[in-house]
Formats: sequence, C-alpha cells, structure tokens
Amino acid sequence: MQLGTVPYREAWDLQRSLAGAVSQGAIPDTVLLLEHLPVVTLGRRTDESAELHLPENTAVEIVETDRGGKSTFHGPGQLVCYPILDLTRHGRDVKRYVRELEEAVVRTVAPFGLEGQRLEGLTGVWVARPPRKIASIGVHVSRWITTHGYALNVDLDPAPFTEWITACGLEDATFTTIARETGRPVTVAEVRPHAVAALGEVFDLELEELAAGDGIGLWAQPVHAGLAER
Amino acid sequence: MSERLEAVAQAYDVIAAELERALAHVRVAAEHYRNELVPRGAAHAWAAHGHLLAARERLEAQARDHAAHSVADAD
Repeated sequence: MQLGTVPYREAWDLQRSLAGAVSQGAIPDTVLLLEHLPVVTLGRRTDESAELHLPENTAVEIVETDRGGKSTFHGPGQLVCYPILDLTRHGRDVKRYVRELEEAVVRTVAPFGLEGQRLEGLTGVWVARPPRKIASIGVHVSRWITTHGYALNVDLDPAPFTEWITACGLEDATFTTIARETGRPVTVAEVRPHAVAALGEVFDLELEELAAGDGIGLWAQPVHAGLAER
Repeated sequence: MSERLEAVAQAYDVIAAELERALAHVRVAAEHYRNELVPRGAAHAWAAHGHLLAARERLEAQARDHAAHSVADAD
C-alpha cells in the first residue's frame, strides 16, 4: 500500500490494527510505504538524556514507540517501509528478519549505483567509505507478526539526525541520502518501485499494489474480494 | 457479582473495545475516501475488518460458552 504522507501516530495505529488482521488471516502479508511529517521517534533502547538535544523552539513531535533500537528522525523525502508479515511464513527468526530487511534496502539502492553495506554489530544500511548511514531499521514482533520496519533517506536534509538527536545512539555518525550520494535530486516515488521489487525478491512475496484511482479496483482485487465474501 | 459473571462482563468489554477500534478506523476511512486518499482509506478499511473479525470470534466464543452452560428445559 502506497499511503503518501501520513502522521506518525496514524501510521502506528494502522500498523497495529493491520497486524491483528494479518494474525487472524483476515488479510495477507501487507507492506505500507509512506512518508512521515517531521517526527522524532524513540525506541525501547533510547537513552533520552544522551540522545535528545533539540535546539530550543524546535517544533517537532516526539513519539515513544514500541520498536527496537534507539532514537531516529523521520521527515518528508524519506521512504518509510512498514512490512506487516507473519513470520511463521518467513522463518520464525527475528534476527534473520532484520538481516533480510537490510538486504531489501541494499537491493533498493543498488539501481542508483550505490553499494549498501552492513556494519558489524550495528543495524541498518550504510554506504562506504567513510561509513555514512543511509537507512535505519527498527522492528517490533508480537506473536510472530512484524510492525515498524525501515526508513531510507532519499532526499532530505540529514541535519536533524545529528543536530536534534544522536540518531541510533551513534556518536559521530554521518548520515546521508540517495540524492546526496548520486549528486542529483531523487524522489521517493522514483525509489518506491525498487523497494517493492526488493521486498518481493527477499521475502518471496507477490505484492499487489492497491489502486489509487477514483474507485478503480476497489473490489476487483483478490484481497478485497476475499473480505467481501466473509 | 459472581466471579463467573465478572469474567463474562470483561469478555464483553473486550468485544466492545474491538468494535470501537473498528468504528474509529471506519470513520477515518470515510474521511480519507472523501479526500480522495484511496489507498489510505482502504488501509483503514482493512484494519476495521481485522477488529470486526476479532469481535465476531469473541462473540461466537461467548455464545458457545453460554450454550455449553445452559440447561435444557425439563418440560
């Protein structure tokens, strides 16, 4: 589902409800692709006193979440991907799931001539050298259903990662974007098809995009038809 | 109130909460469709289905439980 720009709390609430629907078998594995309005999110391992140093009068929402990891920043120009998958169909292994999410990001940036890399002991995707973080990952798994996911920096000012917070708890880390690395403007819409293809390959999913037109395909798609029959 | 009735009441509280969440998603879906945000509306509609299904399953479980404890009329 390509949802456009969605406030963080709405997307989080949506994920939790869709996770319930996936766990009941009411809907299949689902992937939300979206952008957020500017927001700082805190993970379960965030050390607020060490990581938050917002300049005075910074108007940005701060949300405590249930995902793993530390603090991060989301904003327009970042592709946010929330796969809601039943891991009983994908290996029942949370570490493997995170590695596969990283692999999906690596494959997503490859068409832009970028070689995404993992760093030993750290979660996320980087470009070298020196290492510059291009995507952050934080997940939550309950009853083998996943929520949260990754945020890939496409074309945004990465200053908030270091000036507002110590993103991911990483002192002295550098953050980058696809646009900065390629030296040209890149849109989220340009990256999205590569993200969908990569997720399909890595998780062996046949992703069917929800039609966005005026009524087009609302009930023609298999998932809708299945729901209508219940 | 007996412990058993309190347990039944709590089960219905859970059902009510599921239905309230479904209602909230349906209202948001309506708003998004009205603003021509079709996938966002559909996402909330799917979310509502999940809560409705959960509520229905719990209601049916209550019905089965009630049937199992009911006593046939001697007449």
